Amino acid sequence: MFNQDITPYQNLSILVLVSFVLQSMLMPIILTGVNGPEGWISILIAAFLLYIAIKAINKAMKKHDEDTIISVSDKLFPKFISKFIGVYYILMFLTVNSLILKDFAEQIKLMMMFRTPISTIIITVLLTASYATKKGIHSIANITNIALLTSLIPYLLIIVFSTYYADYTNIFPVYPADVEGILKSVPNAMLSFLGFSVLLFSNSRVVTKEKNMKINKKYLVISSVLYIGSYILIIVKFGTKEAANLVWPFVSIMKFVNIPGFFFESTEIVGLCLQIVVIFTSICILAFFTNLAMQETFKTRENGYFIFIQIPILYLMAAGLPGMYMMFPYIQIPIYIISGMNLLIPLIVAYAGSRKKRSI
Amino acid sequence: MKRIIISLLIISTVFLFGCWDSVEINKREYLFAVGIDKQDDKLKFTSEIPKINEGSEEERLIYSNEGKSFADFYHLNYLHSDKVISDRLMQVIVLGEELARDSDKLKEIFDEIQRSPQMNRRVKICIAKGKAEDIINTEIPSNPIVGRFLSDMLVKLKRESYQDVFTFDEAILHLGQTGNAMIPVVEVNQKSLKIERAAIVKEYELIGFLETDELEAVMLLLDPANANIRNINIEIDDTTISLGAVDVSMTDNIKLQGEKIQADYYVTLYCYIDSFTIGNNSLEDRNFLNRVKEESIKKISETSTNTVDKLKSTYNADLLQIKDKLYKYHKSDYEKIMDKYDEVFAQADINVYYNMEIKSVGLIK
Repeated sequence: MFNQDITPYQNLSILVLVSFVLQSMLMPIILTGVNGPEGWISILIAAFLLYIAIKAINKAMKKHDEDTIISVSDKLFPKFISKFIGVYYILMFLTVNSLILKDFAEQIKLMMMFRTPISTIIITVLLTASYATKKGIHSIANITNIALLTSLIPYLLIIVFSTYYADYTNIFPVYPADVEGILKSVPNAMLSFLGFSVLLFSNSRVVTKEKNMKINKKYLVISSVLYIGSYILIIVKFGTKEAANLVWPFVSIMKFVNIPGFFFESTEIVGLCLQIVVIFTSICILAFFTNLAMQETFKTRENGYFIFIQIPILYLMAAGLPGMYMMFPYIQIPIYIISGMNLLIPLIVAYAGSRKKRSI
Repeated sequence: MKRIIISLLIISTVFLFGCWDSVEINKREYLFAVGIDKQDDKLKFTSEIPKINEGSEEERLIYSNEGKSFADFYHLNYLHSDKVISDRLMQVIVLGEELARDSDKLKEIFDEIQRSPQMNRRVKICIAKGKAEDIINTEIPSNPIVGRFLSDMLVKLKRESYQDVFTFDEAILHLGQTGNAMIPVVEVNQKSLKIERAAIVKEYELIGFLETDELEAVMLLLDPANANIRNINIEIDDTTISLGAVDVSMTDNIKLQGEKIQADYYVTLYCYIDSFTIGNNSLEDRNFLNRVKEESIKKISETSTNTVDKLKSTYNADLLQIKDKLYKYHKSDYEKIMDKYDEVFAQADINVYYNMEIKSVGLIK
C-alpha cells in the first residue's frame, strides 16, 4: 500500500519540517550549551559536517537509489549488522517521536487545555496521526506541503513580529568565542538536523532520484538558515542569560507578539495552533518512517499494521518519559551517542558501498 | 462494520466539542489593574475590575484580599465572587513602595509572573510612591478605570522615550541582563495620577528615585535618537531664553583601562529658539548666540554630571548599561573585572560632552 512516490520538493518539505520541529525542541540545549550568543557557529559547523556526509552518502547510494539505508546495509553487511542498524533507526525514530509527542502535549496542556489530562491529548494526537500515516507517504507529503505554506511560514512570521522591542546588539560578543562550548554543542546541533536521518529513507521514495543530491543540499541550506535565524531571533529578544532560562523559547517568544492591528486577544494561542499543525505533521512523518524501518528490518510484506503497533509503544514512551526540560541535565551523553551514530552509520554504509563498487 | 464505525464517529462528535469546561464571557470578571502591597509577611492585592459585563465600562469594582502569592489571590477571588476571574485583559501591575524595597518578595512576584503560562508578560508595570492600594483606589473623573489610564499613559511615555521600561517583560530582561532597571513611578496627583519619576531597582530591590530632569539625562544617553529634552531655560543679560532640542545625535567611547572604566559620551543637540523677547535683535549677533550655546551647555552638563555622580556614588547602579556594552564589545577586558564590577563602576570616569547647534530662531528674527 505504500508504493507511492513523492516529488523532490515534497521530499524537501518533509526534511525541512521534521528538522524544524526538533530544532525548536532542542533549542534550549544550544542556548545553554554555549556561554554567549555564538551558538550559531555550532549550527554552521554541524551543517558543514552534514553536508560532507550527505555528499558521500549520495555518491555511494547512486547504485542503490531504490534502497533505504537498511536495505543497502542488508546487501553490504552480514545480517546481524544490518539488523542492528535497522533496530537502531527504529528505536531512534520511536524515541524522538515520543519526545516530540510528550513536549507537544505538555505545551498544549499548559497553554490551552489546563484541565485535560495529558494522556488524553497524547492518545488523541496519536490516533489522528496514525490515521493520516496509514494513508501513505503521498498523503503525508501533501499534508507537509500544505503545513509548510499555511502553518510554518505564518508561525515564523508571528515569531518575527514577536521580536518587537528586541535588542539587536544581543548578538554580540562574537569574539572571544566560547570555543569549548561551541564544539561541545556541535553534536546537539547535528542531532537537530533530523532530516539527515530521514533522507536516508525518503530519498528512495523520490520519483526523480537524480535530483536527490541537489534537494538534500537545498534542505541543509534552508534548514540551517531557519535554525540560525530562529536562534538569533531568540537571542535578540531575550539576551543570552534570559534565553538560557527558558523551557520553551519558541512559546515564550510568542507571548510578546505585537502585530499592529491584530485583532486576536492572545496571539500566542494563534501561534500555538499553527504549531500544532507543524508538529502533528512531523509526528506523522516520523511514524511513517518508523514503519518503513520496521518493515525493512523485519522484512514483512504487509506493512500497514506497524503503524498501529507503534501507537501503544509511543503512548507508553510519551506518557512514561519526563518532560523534555526535566531531561536536559541528563540528556547530554545520550545526545552525543545518538548524534555520533546518526553520522557514523550512513558514513560507514557509504564507505562500504564505495569499496564494493570499486571491487566490482 | 464500516457503517457502524462511521456512525459511532459521527455520534462521538456531539460529545467531543471541547467546550466542556468553558466559561461564558458574562460569567467572567476581567482584571484591569492589580496593586500589590506588603502587609506584614503577606501581600495585599487590590484589584480593579471594570463592569464590562453590565455595559457600564466607566464603572468598576475594587476587591482587596491578602495572600502569599498570585495563586492565593486568584484562589480567594474565586471563593469571594460568583464569577470567574480572568487576567487575560490585565493592563497594569502596580507594586507598592514598601514591597519594592523587599528584594525577596519582589523576586517571588517576578518569578510567579514569569513562570505562569497564563499571565501575559506584556502587562505594564509601575511602582507606587507610597501604597499601590491608594493608586488603584484613586477616582479619576476623566478616566475612571485606573488600569486603562495607567496603561495609556505608560504606552505614551515609552513611545515618546520619557521612560525606559513600561512592561513586565522589559523590566525582567533589564534586571536579568544588567541587574538594574528604571521602572516608572506613579503618584497620586490631586484627583488624578502622574508618572514623572523613575524608580531605580537594583537586584530586585528599590534603592531610590530619579527626578524628572535626572531621568531625562539618563534617557538622553540611553536612547538619544528618541530622547525628549525639556526646554532649556537660561538667563542672559536679564532676559530669559528658552531653547528646545529637536534632534539629538550621540557617539560614545566606552573602554576599560586596567580596572578603570572610561566612558565618554559626545552629544550634539540641534536646537530651536522657542522664546526670547520682542524688540530684542540680539539673536542676529553670532557672539550672542555663542553665549546662548555656552550657557545652555553649562546648564545641561550640570544636570548630567550630577545624575551620573548620583548613579555612581549614591546608588552604585549602572543604569547607563555600561556593563552590557563592555560585555558585548570588550569581553576579554570585562571578564577581568566582572566579579568586582560594582566597585569598578563606582570609580568610573564618566564624562558627557555636549555640543549645540542652533538650527533656527523660529518664524521671527
